[in-house]
Amino acid sequence: MEYGYYPGCSLTGSAKKLDQGVRQVCKKLGHNLTEIPDWNCCGALEYGDRNELMSISGENLKKAEGIHKEIVVPCPACYKNLKDADSDKSFNILSPLELLNNENLLKMEQKNDLKGQVFFPYYGCLLMRPEGSAIKNKNIMEDAISTFGGDIDGEKMKDRCCGGNQLFLNKWVTEKLSNLILTKSKGTIVVFCPFCHMAMKTFAEGRKVIYLTDLLLYVMGENKSL
Amino acid sequence: MQTTDHIMELAGHRQEDFSVCMGCKVCASVCTINDLDIDMNPQEFLLKLFMGEEIKADNPLVRYCTSCYRCASACPWQIRIPEVVRAVKESLGIEARFEKAFKKSLDIWGRVYEPFVVIMSAPDLLMGGYIKFLPKWMEYAGFHFPHKVKRIRTSHTLKKGSSSKEGRS
Ligand code: SF4
Ligand code: SF4
Repeated sequence: MEYGYYPGCSLTGSAKKLDQGVRQVCKKLGHNLTEIPDWNCCGALEYGDRNELMSISGENLKKAEGIHKEIVVPCPACYKNLKDADSDKSFNILSPLELLNNENLLKMEQKNDLKGQVFFPYYGCLLMRPEGSAIKNKNIMEDAISTFGGDIDGEKMKDRCCGGNQLFLNKWVTEKLSNLILTKSKGTIVVFCPFCHMAMKTFAEGRKVIYLTDLLLYVMGENKSL
Repeated sequence: MQTTDHIMELAGHRQEDFSVCMGCKVCASVCTINDLDIDMNPQEFLLKLFMGEEIKADNPLVRYCTSCYRCASACPWQIRIPEVVRAVKESLGIEARFEKAFKKSLDIWGRVYEPFVVIMSAPDLLMGGYIKFLPKWMEYAGFHFPHKVKRIRTSHTLKKGSSSKEGRS
């Protein structure tokens, strides 16, 4: 399928790995992603004036008008903002997680399996709530991990807040919240959010932090190790 | 200016949206701030605002709300509390160096150019004990040139009236 693609700022920098992973996985699934021309920042969580935030985010939808109706947005903050800005639902704003389902997971060519390995699928906040902008299948990462033989841990913590957006403001807040999640979960931490990745990476000792795309690419034999 | 009306306008809520708050404190029971062992709850925050009491910069929600939306999604009226908190921050003019740099980057390029944000926030990063994280953060490093967007509508660019007038590329 053809999709418009909104990478968002962090995917051009610190979360480049997620960008590359999403592009690669989509290609494997037979999807074609085309960037929205001249896309701008979505405003993240930095604006106190909702009108201003919606106009910053909404500008991207204007730029996509007449070109794309279905837009893939990997970063959960961008995903929420673009979804909110699309108040009359003229577009279909999708997280790459929403392109996955049990059918296409089963069809993936499996070169490596995850048997005997424990994973903590960690979604964080904005993919899970508020309901109006949340993803529909809130177990898709578990589905992916168990399809390929991995074990799941930390279910109760999967939607707790890591405090990622406080990391550069009050790092003790992020440290405390992340540690709470880390102590109540085991195994490789599988995330889909650049903020969560950074918070987990910063405070997890001796545990791997990966994007779900890394896991899928490993399973399909595109990545040599996890 | 910190009036309840102004804050509601910034947060994009109407008076009626707040008047339905029934003080059930569901928001308080799920608020992430509880995990920080801080005594504060979103319902109290709304009540203060509603009573026209001034909310100060040292209010725990103003300082620490993580925009996790646990409160908003549990609230029977879906009051978007984190957005109200952000509106209060805006009205108080509270912006850390990191937040200023973020917005400045948007004003210059229309996107967040991370190397710029890091350099602008360097004093806080150096003084704040972040250096020890550098080895862990190496995987995030990488150089690319900033990309300048042709059209964006922040209040800054609208005031300047420059980039906003350009047509679609
Ligand atoms: S969004 Fe803010 S006020 Fe609401 S639950 Fe999270 S930390 Fe508490
Ligand atoms: S959950 Fe909603 S209705 Fe209940 S006290 Fe909090 S803001 Fe008010």
